[in-house]
Amino acid sequence: MKKLLAMMLSLLCIFSLAACTTDQTTDGSQGSAPAASDYDYIASNGKLVIGITLYEPMNYNDENGELTGFDTEFAQAVCEKLGLEPEFQVIDWDMKESELSSRNIDCIWNGLTVTEERRENMDFSMSYLTNKQCVVINSSNADTYTDTASLASAMLSAEGGSAGEDAILADESLAQASYTASDSQASALLALKSGNYDAIVIDYTLATASAGTGDYTELMIVDSIQLANEEYAIGFRLGSDMTEKVNAVIRELIDDGTLASLADKYDMTELYEEAVGK
Amino acid sequence: MYDISNWLNSYINEDLIRVTVQLWKGFGVTLSLFFLTLILAIPLGLVLAFCTKSSFPLLKFPFRALVYVIRGTPLLLQLMIVIYIPGIAFHSPITKWGMFGGNVARAYFFGALFAFVINYACYFSEIFRGGIENIPKGQYEACDVLGMTRSEAFFKVILLQVIRNILAPMSNEIITLVKDTALARTVAVTEILFCAYEFLKVDAIIWPLFYTGLFYLVFNAVLTWLFGIAEKKLSRYYK
Repeated sequence: MKKLLAMMLSLLCIFSLAACTTDQTTDGSQGSAPAASDYDYIASNGKLVIGITLYEPMNYNDENGELTGFDTEFAQAVCEKLGLEPEFQVIDWDMKESELSSRNIDCIWNGLTVTEERRENMDFSMSYLTNKQCVVINSSNADTYTDTASLASAMLSAEGGSAGEDAILADESLAQASYTASDSQASALLALKSGNYDAIVIDYTLATASAGTGDYTELMIVDSIQLANEEYAIGFRLGSDMTEKVNAVIRELIDDGTLASLADKYDMTELYEEAVGK
Repeated sequence: MYDISNWLNSYINEDLIRVTVQLWKGFGVTLSLFFLTLILAIPLGLVLAFCTKSSFPLLKFPFRALVYVIRGTPLLLQLMIVIYIPGIAFHSPITKWGMFGGNVARAYFFGALFAFVINYACYFSEIFRGGIENIPKGQYEACDVLGMTRSEAFFKVILLQVIRNILAPMSNEIITLVKDTALARTVAVTEILFCAYEFLKVDAIIWPLFYTGLFYLVFNAVLTWLFGIAEKKLSRYYK
């Protein structure tokens, strides 16, 4: 009886091993096929999964709870031309690279700044907006902080690792100021409002959407300070053929004026024209 | 499988030393926050325990209310209150308090420390109160008979037994504290997770985030071992 059991068990082992190997070969072929063409992989799903975070004016819920915003409408227009269903997926912004490479999402389309470091991990589409960095202060300090030189002895902050941080470090005067990295742009705004900082450097789009509104009525952008500009683009997986296809569609949308009217709707004509031209 | 090892190799060679050095610095902040919280919260917790078990209502009710509020709200929220509310509500931003000498990082560290000490003192006080109330009344009476004063009885007879009774729940709280220090990241205290996030944001490399787990794990292993020793020493009179 024991021998019979042992024989059956060993047979079972062999079969299960065999099952494993066949599994792996099928897995392997499935895994390599989409790698040949990212577009084929996305087209076979019939939808483009777009990684976003919710913030005005790029992707946010309007008063009816519908997702809207410049990037939302832009992505919908591009997907329509590509014959894909856009699916917006809210992600943790800090984890965007791993979300993209693990295929939880197909692209990052949420006011993504083009940087050299990011180029190592993703491909960028053509840029469609200028990401201006601007200095935000409490309006009670409007007469004190009028240029970068006046901020040289101030307490500054920006989100750690953001374009704003780069702008501070790149500016001769701002680099002398006492600088502390914030956890996020939102917490930098909160800390500025509480007076923990004298000034912060954040994205122009966020600054225009928040300074002067809600609880931030006493915050203002220092218009007289111009910092180094960066650009917004869509991030795709490295080597993806989606980049080219989407670029072609973006050019169409630029030529027929769709993108310009979208920029106008969200009050970003200036940023659009700086990136794309008139 | 080969994918994973390739992926590991490509990072380990180049960046391991740079990341380890940076994370060590962050872990130094984590440890300072941990030890300072512990050193300050334990005596404060004991004082709170006496206040909440006091029969004097002016002492008992306000402090019970404090423990109730602190235990009933997230530490994350308490951190934000300490860091932002002085400026927003009282126009006296914490970074500009004279005692911090204009050093923002120092202001945030001590702000966070304050929130941690209050929070953990409240949790500790409940553990202490339970431990003290567990000691049979007969022991106080015996001490009384032997002619000991109340404070003599407490410090020489009761407290040691309390320590033994509360060791297990305290080790729980203390190990939780090690990991809770990660919350200080949200108010720009440059502890180990903050440093790991910097790698994520600046260099777009992910693994330092998971590497921090090793620091916590090793440190907690040491703590667990120390608690094991303490438990053995304290239980020898009971065998």
